[in-house]
Amino acid sequence: MAHKSDPKRPAEIYEPYEEQAGVPLPVIWIAIALAFWGVLMLYDTGDSVRVSLNDRAEDSEALANVTPDEGASLFEANCATCHQPDGEGLRDAVPPLAGSEVVAAGPGIIARILLRGIDGPLTVADATYDGHMPSFASALSDAEIARLASYVTTRWANGPDGAASSADDVTDLRGEVADLGSFAGGMELARLIPSLPPQPPMPAPSAAPRDDADVLQLVFAGRDEVWSCASCHGDLGQGDETTPRLAGLPAAYITKQLHDFREGTRVNESMHLVASGLTKGEMTALGTYFATLRVPSNAGAVLSGDLARGEELALQGDWSIGVPACFTCHGASGFGVAPGFPGLAAQHAPYTAAQLANWAGGERHNDPLGLMAEISGALSTQDRRAVADYLATRPPVPAVAATMTRMETDDDQ
Amino acid sequence: MNRYLPLSILALAILAFATLMLVIAPGIQINARPAPEGLRPYTEAEARGREVYVSLGCLYCHSQQPRSGDQAPDGERGWGRPSVAEDYAYDQPHQLGTMRTGPDLLNVSARLPSEGWHLTHLYQPRAIFDWSIMPSYPYLFDHKDTAGPGDVVVALPAAHAPADGVIVASQKALDLTAYLVALDRTYPAPTNGLRDHGYGSSEGPEPTPAEEAR
Repeated sequence: MAHKSDPKRPAEIYEPYEEQAGVPLPVIWIAIALAFWGVLMLYDTGDSVRVSLNDRAEDSEALANVTPDEGASLFEANCATCHQPDGEGLRDAVPPLAGSEVVAAGPGIIARILLRGIDGPLTVADATYDGHMPSFASALSDAEIARLASYVTTRWANGPDGAASSADDVTDLRGEVADLGSFAGGMELARLIPSLPPQPPMPAPSAAPRDDADVLQLVFAGRDEVWSCASCHGDLGQGDETTPRLAGLPAAYITKQLHDFREGTRVNESMHLVASGLTKGEMTALGTYFATLRVPSNAGAVLSGDLARGEELALQGDWSIGVPACFTCHGASGFGVAPGFPGLAAQHAPYTAAQLANWAGGERHNDPLGLMAEISGALSTQDRRAVADYLATRPPVPAVAATMTRMETDDDQ
Repeated sequence: MNRYLPLSILALAILAFATLMLVIAPGIQINARPAPEGLRPYTEAEARGREVYVSLGCLYCHSQQPRSGDQAPDGERGWGRPSVAEDYAYDQPHQLGTMRTGPDLLNVSARLPSEGWHLTHLYQPRAIFDWSIMPSYPYLFDHKDTAGPGDVVVALPAAHAPADGVIVASQKALDLTAYLVALDRTYPAPTNGLRDHGYGSSEGPEPTPAEEAR
């Protein structure tokens, strides 16, 4: 089509083009600078990725308990608050380990007791105690229970070397005792340990309020205008996440919270609706019902808090920021002190941390002594997570006998 | 146009590279992961409820992706541990969402397992929270004179209950509730679980203004 045109006239179908030319030098420099910057950014963010990878590795290691502590430090952290560092116990309250016929029975028995807990009177070393030992099944790994059992027997019963308990033994035991619940006092222990002295009889289980049809109706079926307790807090009052565990809290505390929800002095919309439909008598009955429930812990450290810091706050407090130890008020091992101080052990970490934040922010302000606002306000976000996580890993509150809680609630009114 | 061939080859190559790195490689990475032990497939009712969840557009206001503690206080909110890719094994497509006008729902059943609560809340959120801005879904419920056999009656406070008769849940409402009550991924995350590691720092999250002031 394009034929040789007249050189004096511009070609009509001329298409402009560019000769092959090198990339200008400034462009090359910019490209090199960008590449360099890119590599630098990769390196920079690589560091924070490494930090979070390490965090997660630590978390999963803590969960799996790859390296259990030595027996002595386990004892210090888990047993010494009640049984005392020298294992002498507390007169009339906590049985001694030193000179105890139970400890002399060997590490297998100790491991069983650690897994199941004791709930009933028992006689050791010529004295009778009201046994309320929690189950450590949820708090300690198999390896830790084995070490602790060996440590206790070696230290206080001069156990022979061969008596050491192994993690595999505990794994087997755990399966065996999973559904058995707590030891029914010295009576049941005596069946396993023939050398025990005569044991006190178990008190007859209290009839009310677990057989009270009205209370059961409220707990499991609810009413026309409100939902049942169990539909959120679980069949056994175990709770989850920000729905609190109710099992084993002091009866008077639960009753007071229900009352405060109704009055609006503690703010929670769902609970306000529920509590508005309850009579005073029903609140008291529900408090007693949940106080006597026994249920294994289903809480755990889920907030990635620093457990060592949490333990420090719970056991010693931190006077540099004006925070007393949690356990000075909430009882040894965080089991609560009726009627005013709720148990903290085995409470869900998100609930505890959220409540601490509520105290600090002023949204919750219904404590009788007005202490929690200042304490919570002094804690940083990290501290709140740490202490909530630590408390969640503790063994659950051994529920108090129904007769005792009823007396407390009667006093309260 | 000159040299259109190398130009189109280069354009296609760039597209192919992007597809490889952004679609194929992550696809291989995610598909190689087994569903976590603690996660079970949806039942039929839950799967139908999931369809209702999608059709109502819940995703526009509710995310399903709790974050880690150094990004947001989702743990304290009771929204559960940070999710990993494996948690969505049975969600096709996932309902991650980006807006948090309402709370994250990936673990709503852990903190609110009550079917009755969800029915009341779906029928009229303001029956519980007078400040709620969530839409009510009355068309998922039927107003009847008396509840028939098998009907699920919605618990309602007097102010929101009908003057006569009862409110019963339709199949759609029951399915949606079944789905919500199945949303619980608080089982332990697989240790090698796949997720964004974020920009964690060894100092933890930045202090809040109130903490800074101290």
